[in-house]
Amino acid sequence: MGLLNYITATSLDADYAHVSQRRGSDRSVRRTSPGTVGLVVLAIFGVLVATAAVQTSRTADESASSRESLVKQVNARKAVLARQQTTRLGLTREVAALQNSKLDATNQGQSLLIRLDGLGLSAARVPVTGEGIRVVVDDAPGATSDKQTVLDQDLQKLVNGLWLVGAEAISINGHRLTNLTAIREAGSAITVNFKSLNRPYTVSAIGNKNQMAAKLLDTEGGRTWLTLRASFGLRFDVNSEDSMTLPAGPVPALRFARQPERLK
Amino acid sequence: MIAAIGLLLGVLLGLVLQPEVPIWLEPYLPIAVVAALDAVFGALRAFLDGIFDDKVFVVSFVSNVLIAALIVYLGDKLGVGGQLSTGVIVVLGIRIFSNVAAIRRHIFHA
Repeated sequence: MGLLNYITATSLDADYAHVSQRRGSDRSVRRTSPGTVGLVVLAIFGVLVATAAVQTSRTADESASSRESLVKQVNARKAVLARQQTTRLGLTREVAALQNSKLDATNQGQSLLIRLDGLGLSAARVPVTGEGIRVVVDDAPGATSDKQTVLDQDLQKLVNGLWLVGAEAISINGHRLTNLTAIREAGSAITVNFKSLNRPYTVSAIGNKNQMAAKLLDTEGGRTWLTLRASFGLRFDVNSEDSMTLPAGPVPALRFARQPERLK
Repeated sequence: MIAAIGLLLGVLLGLVLQPEVPIWLEPYLPIAVVAALDAVFGALRAFLDGIFDDKVFVVSFVSNVLIAALIVYLGDKLGVGGQLSTGVIVVLGIRIFSNVAAIRRHIFHA
């Protein structure tokens, strides 16, 4: 408390007392009320206060208006983006329709079309439907530690196991896996195709529904999940489905990869 | 009386002219104002105590403003500008409060 006491005790500049002591009883030497100098200093003080106030209100106005204009810009851009995406979707459909009709016209085109469809299927550019298995995994009930929750690595192992036993297309919670898809932890959520997932995780894999489930348990991923279920109580259910449809994956934006010159 | 006229004159001058504050000076203006406020209240108390002196007032005013700005400037350079401003404002605030308390005692004799 010493410091606080000191500040309170010396709140009046000691100089005033010093000067008045030195002056002693001779009061006529100096006046004890503000003179011209005091007036000037007080005027300076007034200017300072007014300037600070004006400055503060000006800055407040500026920051508020700049935020508002930013919000407006963001909203306008969002609307433009939405419009353009709708246009793009329409154009993509038109291109696909035109491409199909053109290619259908010739023999060579028809074989190209078949090849295109096959490539589209394996590149996850088109939705697929077929039989397969559905694996539902989830955190252990009342999970507290990392070991009782589903991690990105666990999903990666499961997906790798599914590919290994002959899955032809896989989606997690409706997000189709492409060859450029990453399954990773971002914050506290697992993201697939840069979209955050909510529990529980449903992994749908199209393939031979009779063999895949049994084979899966023989892979490293399957064994990992059996251990997780037995030791930590995580949910791991495998069901076979007669028919399911997986959506198309996102169109990859390739910024660096391009086609080499055609060989002649 | 002369003090009130000076203050009024200054405020009016500031409002009319609205001087443009250079960007580099902007962060030190508020702290300078608080320091000046402390000097002014100190002067008022001294006046009521009957020991006011023009010279002391000018010196304490200028040195208060300069030192407060200098401390904040140093703090900015050292990366503790915010904390140092807080410290300066706390100290000046306590001084202002105790000076105002003394002024109150003078005016109301309580």
